[in-house]
Amino acid sequence: MNWLNDNVNALALLGAAAILILSIGVSLKYIKQMKTDKSTGELTKENWDGIGEYKNALPIGWALSFVGTIVWALWYFLAGYPLASYNKIGEYNEEVKSYNAQFEKKFANPDQATLMSMGEGVFLVQCAPCHGVTGDGMNGKAANFAKWGNEEAIVASILNGAKGSSYPLGEMPSGLLDAESAKAVAAYVMQEVSSVKKSKNPALVESGRALWATCAACHGEDGKGMDGSAPDLSTYGTAKFVANVLNMGKKGTIGNMPQFNDGRLTNIQKTAVGTYVSSLAK
Amino acid sequence: MQAKDALNYDYSVAKCFTYAAILFGIVGMLIGVVIAYQMAFPELNYLAGEYGTYSRLRPLHTSGVIFGFLLSGIFATWYYVGQRVLKVSMAESPFLMIVGKLHFWLYMILMTIAVVNLFMGIGTSKEYAELEWPLDILVVVVWVLWGFSIFGLVGIRREKTLYISMWYYIATFLGVAMLYLFNNMEVPTYFVAGMGKWYHSVSMYAGSNDAMVQWWYGHNAVAFVFTVPIIAMIYYFLPKESGQPVFSYKLSLLSFWGLMFVYLWAGGHHLIYSTVPDWVQTMGSIFSIVLILPSWGSAINMLLTMKGQWGQLKENPLVKFMVFASTFYMLSTLEGPIQSIKSVNALAHFTDWIPGHVHDGTLGWVGFMTMAALYHMAPRMYKRELYSKKLMESQFWIQTTGIVMYFSSMWIAGITQGMMWRATDQFGNLAYSFIDTVTVLIPYYALRATGGLLYLIGFFMFTYNMYKTMTASKAIESEPQNASPMAA
Amino acid sequence: MFHWLEKNPFFFAVGVFLVIAYAGIVTILPDFMESARPVTGTKPYTVLELAGRHVYIKDSCNACHSQLIRPFKSETDRYGMYSLSGEYAYDRPFLWGSKRTGPDLMRVGNYRTTDWHEYHMLDPISVVPGSIMPAYKHMFKNNADIETAYAEALTVKKVFNVPYDQADMPQLGTYDESKKAVMEQAAAIVADMKSTEVKEAFKRGEIKEIVALIAYLNSLK
Ligand code: HEC
Ligand code: HEC
Ligand code: HEC
Ligand code: HEM
Ligand code: HEM
Ligand SMILES: [Ca+2]
Ligand SMILES: [Ca+2]
Ligand SMILES: [Cu+2]
Repeated sequence: MNWLNDNVNALALLGAAAILILSIGVSLKYIKQMKTDKSTGELTKENWDGIGEYKNALPIGWALSFVGTIVWALWYFLAGYPLASYNKIGEYNEEVKSYNAQFEKKFANPDQATLMSMGEGVFLVQCAPCHGVTGDGMNGKAANFAKWGNEEAIVASILNGAKGSSYPLGEMPSGLLDAESAKAVAAYVMQEVSSVKKSKNPALVESGRALWATCAACHGEDGKGMDGSAPDLSTYGTAKFVANVLNMGKKGTIGNMPQFNDGRLTNIQKTAVGTYVSSLAK
Repeated sequence: MQAKDALNYDYSVAKCFTYAAILFGIVGMLIGVVIAYQMAFPELNYLAGEYGTYSRLRPLHTSGVIFGFLLSGIFATWYYVGQRVLKVSMAESPFLMIVGKLHFWLYMILMTIAVVNLFMGIGTSKEYAELEWPLDILVVVVWVLWGFSIFGLVGIRREKTLYISMWYYIATFLGVAMLYLFNNMEVPTYFVAGMGKWYHSVSMYAGSNDAMVQWWYGHNAVAFVFTVPIIAMIYYFLPKESGQPVFSYKLSLLSFWGLMFVYLWAGGHHLIYSTVPDWVQTMGSIFSIVLILPSWGSAINMLLTMKGQWGQLKENPLVKFMVFASTFYMLSTLEGPIQSIKSVNALAHFTDWIPGHVHDGTLGWVGFMTMAALYHMAPRMYKRELYSKKLMESQFWIQTTGIVMYFSSMWIAGITQGMMWRATDQFGNLAYSFIDTVTVLIPYYALRATGGLLYLIGFFMFTYNMYKTMTASKAIESEPQNASPMAA
Repeated sequence: MFHWLEKNPFFFAVGVFLVIAYAGIVTILPDFMESARPVTGTKPYTVLELAGRHVYIKDSCNACHSQLIRPFKSETDRYGMYSLSGEYAYDRPFLWGSKRTGPDLMRVGNYRTTDWHEYHMLDPISVVPGSIMPAYKHMFKNNADIETAYAEALTVKKVFNVPYDQADMPQLGTYDESKKAVMEQAAAIVADMKSTEVKEAFKRGEIKEIVALIAYLNSLK
């Protein structure tokens, strides 16, 4: 980490050092006077319960600093500080805009390794509180990514249905097919529809293709979801599918997954976290 | 005329408040230690069900130490110092005696209800002003009684010129009165709607406006409870105990009026980068820097009063407590202004560095000064010498170790936390999840809690020493002029 | 001059008061201000949310949680868009907090959900290992105080002209009407929850503190 490249960090450390050095330094100076000096001066005529008071002059360093800070304060407030022209929000907007532009440029065409490593970072900050640090869903509190995005998950969706992302077609009903057929359709989806293009049961693909009509009713002949009426299964198990979940949220059967569309994640970050999440699918 | 020949000061009210200060000191700091350990070991949250969670206890800690321990200490010293520097005994006025007693008992009733309320979670959430409106009214009554006591005694004084301590007591009275009233403007909902809890109220101010009023109050509550009356104490007890005249009248004068003038402008430093107007934030920041000088003025005045008195510092633990208090006052009044610089506040705000700053002031300055004052008063009030100097010496070192542990751990924790919140990875994304920034702090939380525990142990030593002084120590015939008599 | 004041306590006190009072006037009054007016889209809390806010205050969540996102990239990345003054227009009292022992909650409604809050409030370490936040089991037992929340809503409507009962704003109506709306909002939350204790109680017409609190947390956006 480049802790000290950050002005704020550097100033804070400097400030902490200044507090210690100045307080201890000045106190030691006076403590030394306790050791070496003698108290002198002309007493005022008053006396309270035995307490007297010297008419000593102000310590010169103190007086000068006091006047100095007052002059500085007046100058700063009236002249040094851009009373009307400074705007923190404006500064923030500029900063973020230029940062984002740079980010977009630098990561316009990220390679797989970059996406994975960026995605893991985003995942740990944004997703781990629900999905767990390892993405296991913490005993069913959210989707377990090891069991998601693969053929078994498609089977589960077919058997149990799917809901919660408010697609125009609403919910996908449960029990559309029996367990055997579901397995076959899942193989078909994985190998032919999804861009994963690989099934664990290649032998079942053709019988799955024969059953596809059930699904095509909603997901379309090509499985692309008929212009957003239902999920686009050609992206199933990929970063794109995840990014879509982030945009839509999911009020599912396990629980509620919030939408991530408040601008906290850029598209590149969404792709990155999607890449990471789909890599967890077994 | 020597006061002690002419007058028999009446310390009955001062004694009552002394007991209260000790009682609330124990309660408040004990709860402080508990919540400090809860942050390191969260299982400790479940010792008393709903009533033992960190978040129920935290307002009890702050209210307990501020309005219990500290206010009692302030009142105790007032009922002691006031008579002496005005050269008039409370016994001369039956009216003032009644006011004083009423003041004490109403205060105790108020505090008892307040403690119960806070345990139950009844409050308005405003920091250092949690109490609901019925208790606000009681606060006002208690405060007005104190006002009667101050101005009543001033009215019948023999000493025409007000001593420096008096300036500060009067300022405390006026400042808190003004602040408390305005920050507690609330509408009781029951009387408008005719239903719901009768003691519930809603703030007159909303959102950013409410924040402005709250931190105008909050900052100056620090000023007029943690600072101004403590300066009143040190201006009396340090010269008195050491027998040294105050170093400079001019310095006292400029520091006082400077402090009065500057303090009130600095509240904006609690709202830096918030949604209040930028000029308010900037003004808070600027005036905080200026504030270093009037603050340091009093501290320097006290340190210079001790010029040439190294022997006393070595020999007399009371002087040691007070000199140490004023150096810690310097530390925290430099720390605060530096935390008010915008870029530093960007890091420090919301972190543990702030409680670190708070306890530099409260443990080192406020706590030490209050205990030293009560120690000094004891031989005069009970006509016995202080029970044990040795115990006092050990107390000093144990508590000093505690303070150093407290603030060093919180500085490190706070700065670490602030940096981790900001840190980014090689892609420019946040490097740490929030929980990462919590778990790294656990060792520092444990260290802080242990520092606090040492301070509490020291406070028990103080309590024991005071108790023995009151009950079992050797009697003294005549009142000592300066250094408090103490058995080895 | 000063020495004269020191002999005349009355004028001394007046002097002190003037010096300390006018700073207050200068810093405070100008800010009863334009920017504290509601921004478009900001609505007053519903009665259930207000009851939840009372729970939040009762258990001093603000001791550990802020509700103020400062305009730094590190904060907006973590918590969302920085705070605007007008967003707090209906917050009485404000709950910015002054310490972040836990994360900011200004917009927690955007990225946490009912079921998650339920796990978390019941046992924080079950979702965030290492959390030092206390569990708040008693909120699953205590009933929320809807009457006081309604009383507060009605009070601010009457005294401060908070725009309840206007078009596109939360409706108060009479207490009974209000109670019905509260039950409706609560029903949606209870449906998303797992606790049978809370569900059973809701069937009996009781709303637990946790339900109100979650309504409030979900409203923070
Ligand atoms: C009645 C319309 C309909 C039919 C028929 C249908 N689906 Fe779906 N499907 C949906 C909808 C709507 C969703 C989105 C649910 C949500 O997340 O809101 C969905 C989601 C899915 C998902 C994603 C589940 C997840 O992980 O979120 C898969 C995989 C899927 N369908 C596969 C199929 C297969 C295979 C078939 C045929 C056996 C099929 N669907 C039949 C409507 C349908
Ligand atoms: C507040 C909790 C929460 C957060 C934060 C969260 N999720 Fe989820 N997520 C869930 C829950 C609950 C489900 C299960 C929904 C269901 O199917 O019942 C889920 C499901 C999913 C799914 C599967 C959706 C499907 O079609 O079956 C994906 C993919 C996902 N989350 C990705 C993410 C990513 C990536 C992040 C972070 C950027 C994230 N989630 C943050 C709670 C959360
Ligand atoms: C002792 C301090 C403490 C108290 C008191 C406390 N919290 Fe927390 N809170 C934390 C910490 C630390 C975290 C971060 C770890 C975690 O998520 O559990 C947290 C996290 C949260 C989160 C998750 C926010 C996010 O972005 O992940 C919510 C919501 C929350 N707290 C609500 C509350 C409420 C409501 C209360 C009061 C009833 C409360 N907290 C009291 C310390 C506290
Ligand atoms: C020159 C004098 C001082 C200045 C300028 C100052 C400044 C500050 C600042 C900037 C903060 C932090 C605000 C934030 O970011 O949250 C703060 C907090 C605080 N300070 Fe000081 N400080 C001073 C002296 C003191 C002293 C002497 C004490 C106590 C004895 C004290 C007690 C506190 C307390 C209790 C808080 C916490 C307020 C909260 O709850 O947030 N301060 N101060
Ligand atoms: C026995 C020693 C003490 C311990 C262990 C202790 C511990 C604590 C803890 C753990 C907190 C909460 C910090 C946080 O929010 O992270 C706190 C807050 C506070 N304490 Fe103490 N405390 C002690 C003594 C005192 C004393 C003597 C005073 C005042 C005279 C005091 C005044 C305060 C104040 C004002 C706060 C609020 C600070 C803020 O909001 O920033 N404490 N204390
Ligand atoms: Ca109040
Ligand atoms: Ca605070
Ligand atoms: Cu302040």
